[in-house]
Amino acid sequence: MSALPVASPRATRSWLWARLRERPGEVGAALLVGLAGAGALVVPPYALGVLIDRVSGGGAIAPIAVVILVAAVVGGLASGLTAYLVGRLGGRVLAHAREATVARVLTLPATTIERTGKGDLLSRVSADVATVGKAASDVIPTVLSAFLLGVMSLAGMAALDWRLGLAGLVAVPLYVAALRWYLPKAAPGYAEQRAAVGERSRLMVESMQGVRTVHAYRREVEHLRRIDAASAHSRDISVHVFSYFTRFVTRVNIAEFGGIAAILVAGFLLARAGAVTVGEVSAAALLFLRLVGPVSMLLYTFDEVQSAVASLARLVGVIGLPGQPETASATARPVDAGLELADVRFSYDGGTPVLHGVSLRVEPGERVALVGSTGAGKSTVAAIAAGVLRGRELTGKVLLGGVPMADIPTEALRGQVAIVSQETHVFAGPLAADLRMARPDATDDDIAAALGAVGALEWVRALPDGFATVVGEGGHDLTSAQAQQLALARLVLLDPPVAILDEATAEAGSLGARALEESARAATEGRTTLVVAHRLTQAAGADRVVVLEHGRVVAEGTHADLVAEGGHYARLWQAWEADTAT
Amino acid sequence: MGLLRRTVARNGGRLWPGTLLICLFQACEAFVPVLIGYIIDQVIAGGDGLGLALWIGGLAGLILVQTSMYRLGARLLMLAIAHESHRLRAEVTERVLDPRGIRTDMRAGELLTVSSTDTDNTSYLLDYIPRVAGAVTATAVAAVTLLSIDVVLGLAVLVGTPVVLLVLQVGSPAITRRVAAQQEVAGEAAALATDLVSGLRPLRGIRAEDAALRRYREVSGRSLRAAVRAAGTQGGYLAASNALSALLACGIALLAGWFAVRGEITVGECIVVIGLAQVLIEPFGVLAIVPGLVAEARASADRVSAVLTAPTLVEPGPVDRVENVELSLSGVSYRSLDGLDLTVRPGEFVGVVVRGPEDGEALTALLAGRAAPDTGEVRLGGVRVDTLDLDLARATVLAEPHHTDLFTGTLADNLGPAADADLSRALAASAADQVVADHPDGLDQLVAERGTTLSGGQRQRIALARALLANPPVLVLHDPTTAVDAVTEHAIAHGVRDLRAGLSTVVVTSSPALLSVTDRVVMIDGGRVVAEGVHQELGASHESYRAAVLR
Repeated sequence: MSALPVASPRATRSWLWARLRERPGEVGAALLVGLAGAGALVVPPYALGVLIDRVSGGGAIAPIAVVILVAAVVGGLASGLTAYLVGRLGGRVLAHAREATVARVLTLPATTIERTGKGDLLSRVSADVATVGKAASDVIPTVLSAFLLGVMSLAGMAALDWRLGLAGLVAVPLYVAALRWYLPKAAPGYAEQRAAVGERSRLMVESMQGVRTVHAYRREVEHLRRIDAASAHSRDISVHVFSYFTRFVTRVNIAEFGGIAAILVAGFLLARAGAVTVGEVSAAALLFLRLVGPVSMLLYTFDEVQSAVASLARLVGVIGLPGQPETASATARPVDAGLELADVRFSYDGGTPVLHGVSLRVEPGERVALVGSTGAGKSTVAAIAAGVLRGRELTGKVLLGGVPMADIPTEALRGQVAIVSQETHVFAGPLAADLRMARPDATDDDIAAALGAVGALEWVRALPDGFATVVGEGGHDLTSAQAQQLALARLVLLDPPVAILDEATAEAGSLGARALEESARAATEGRTTLVVAHRLTQAAGADRVVVLEHGRVVAEGTHADLVAEGGHYARLWQAWEADTAT
Repeated sequence: MGLLRRTVARNGGRLWPGTLLICLFQACEAFVPVLIGYIIDQVIAGGDGLGLALWIGGLAGLILVQTSMYRLGARLLMLAIAHESHRLRAEVTERVLDPRGIRTDMRAGELLTVSSTDTDNTSYLLDYIPRVAGAVTATAVAAVTLLSIDVVLGLAVLVGTPVVLLVLQVGSPAITRRVAAQQEVAGEAAALATDLVSGLRPLRGIRAEDAALRRYREVSGRSLRAAVRAAGTQGGYLAASNALSALLACGIALLAGWFAVRGEITVGECIVVIGLAQVLIEPFGVLAIVPGLVAEARASADRVSAVLTAPTLVEPGPVDRVENVELSLSGVSYRSLDGLDLTVRPGEFVGVVVRGPEDGEALTALLAGRAAPDTGEVRLGGVRVDTLDLDLARATVLAEPHHTDLFTGTLADNLGPAADADLSRALAASAADQVVADHPDGLDQLVAERGTTLSGGQRQRIALARALLANPPVLVLHDPTTAVDAVTEHAIAHGVRDLRAGLSTVVVTSSPALLSVTDRVVMIDGGRVVAEGVHQELGASHESYRAAVLR
């Protein structure tokens, strides 16, 4: 399994830059208000310096008092407004990123998904989006305000006397050095910690979900030992990473000391030379003290910024992937409802072939069953016939209605051919919404009709909230047979002339299996149908049977002919009959 | 509450020294502005170069002590927290995996939350105690300093700061609400994305990509609006809190300035007051939020306690040997079972056909020893199973659940230790040899979490091989071949039959392939036996049996 790509820092930056350039007004407003706010926050300590001088030199306090109080209020309000503007901007960029990611994931070529697996995709659309989201709403606004405050405070010190500003600047390289010491240790440390915690959760989840099996095989001690080891490992890593953090804090403290000491020494020298007043030195010291809290906050959350950037790079990596290839000149329309595969070869990884030249034809309105043992390539043929699997790994011809499927535009293909795959999935949400995935404009009557056609209307009506019952993950639990009926109802709603069925009916037990077979038959009535036969009765009821072995068609004909021929199919059928014989 | 007390008691060795160090650290931190004020007042205003060098050295010493106290204290406390959460986690997992089972209405997901998040939250109490102690220390140092400079100024700071914090508390429920709302919608968007990716194949099968994307955009848009609203609330709160605390700080500063003008305090004292007013915001803030955090720790501790003290599901007895392995249920009622009688003689291969799936679940739960019947008796070798030693019972009767659980590791790890000959026989009988052969790494192939790298049919065959390999005197299988194709199922039926010759086997199934190799079939409907006989005969004579089994 190859991993999904991660965008380079450069590509990530240019993506982010492009998003910011789309919103010049918002970016400008956030920066302007942020600077104004930071400026206002710098005024009070500055003015206090003047105040202190007036204490020793005499003069009116009232105007200074007014300036200080107004600046305090303005600074406070502006900092709130900045947080809002930055949070809103971050939220919008995040929304853009997550929607673009999901849009790309939905249209990735099927072969890419087969190669990378779903795990990585899932972590990108959930965990990475969440990490960037947290940064956008909490971290970035704080970091930006602290940064602006730092810049303005240094400017304030320099305005008192440029040498005082220079003294304050002493802290900057010390801060940078602390950060450069810490980040290269923290990032892998936290990654290791996350991995260790993930490993621990994984072991706990599977032991708890599989507790019956653990008990049945008396493997409690082994499982506890593994969990304990994983938990101890994550504990030790956490302690270790934290020790880096405490050493980082010491370095930050040293930077703070360096800054304040430099200001005091410079202030002392300048004051002795008469260049600045004691009040001005006090103001510079107060400005610096005012800065310590926000700047250390900035430093301590810097690793969150770093991990948000890493997550964003993972999102941009997906966004940049090529989508499903589309032939530019795809303008053809199918002439009838026939389906034909001619000399089709396919491999998932570009190396090991799964199909070695499969040819089969399904006449309009005909029902053909595909039979073969596990691993024969049945599901691959089905996915190719449905146009889901395509791309460079596929050679040979796939014709729908007499024209190559690749020449039919995606939009036109929709509604022409559909596949009910082996994997059943109930989309989380109201049951009606699940069905409307097939046809968004379907009315309640359409939905009732589709459910009725597959024999599901009765149990759906009996659900707590009928069509509105929330089903799927976190909702009302449906049996696998019910889930398959919903998949068939989606097919009925979509109403394509060509239908491919690759659903396994066995889970339902034999009573359920029979009902499902009836549902499937009703759902495909009048359509050109290719059925992957997981049960031999499905084959016996088809117009024609195609037997597939090791990626090749080894026999085809009617059920009766094949049984009479006495080949592989006949042997399968005999085994089946022997079991069920009465 | 008892759990929290125990947490404190058993970590005292690290907790109390750590707390002391944190208090010293806080005292030093509160003293920094005092020292700076003094330096400006005495040294800079006085122009004393040697004094400056000495005092800067003093400041360096203070910060060095401060940072060392923090480092030692925080590390000690971190060790205490990490060890406590690990110990709690070990206790919880041991309880959850207790062989006797635990009676709890929590599901696996909730149990995971208890064993990961709640154990962490409980151990965080060891962080809250030193934080409160440190905040109290800092406040005390500042209060003493302020009051010694000027009583009126001191009182203004010590009363004004908590009042402002209290006023700001008024706004916090609104923020909590908005942020919770934002997180909920964000969670919804994440859940939808996860759901769409999980159902990607079915979704693409009907080319519903556009519909799916529209749905996601809609939720994402709602999430954005909620985020913007939350940012608005947070921004408003931040504006109010920053303005108010700046007003407080500046008010105090002006007051101090006014006092200095009147000559009641020195310029340096004025700076100390301003500096301390800034320093004090943090400890007061800690004192304001810690009660809420402690309440959270207590709620978590209650959940951890609930698991640790949950009653066991079955109480094993003392009998540690049985004469034979005849398994018999007489007049058993449990969940949907209603007066069930069933006997499996030693060496017999019995098929059980259920009309309702709930009967199959209830029966296998009883046979697995996961549950005790409400009425009636389950006996093994004539001995009531609830008087049997648990180890003996589990070693004698093995029930492989229908929902197969494989675990992370290699295939070989999952199958368990075995001699080569036994292994290849079990693999062949369950047709799992093909799963081994299909992968270049064979038995060493890695199985991902819960076996997701394998197909349903492959998982079932591996689980079956595992059960056969364990070679128990009595084996209970529940729908073991539902995801396997007809040909393979036929082969498995004969393989299992041959391998289990002479041993007792019970198969709950509706598969004719499996039923046709049994010695005897029992059909259960409505919780009791309605038919019994040989598969072929029942198929010929029993109408409802035919409907349930033959396809």
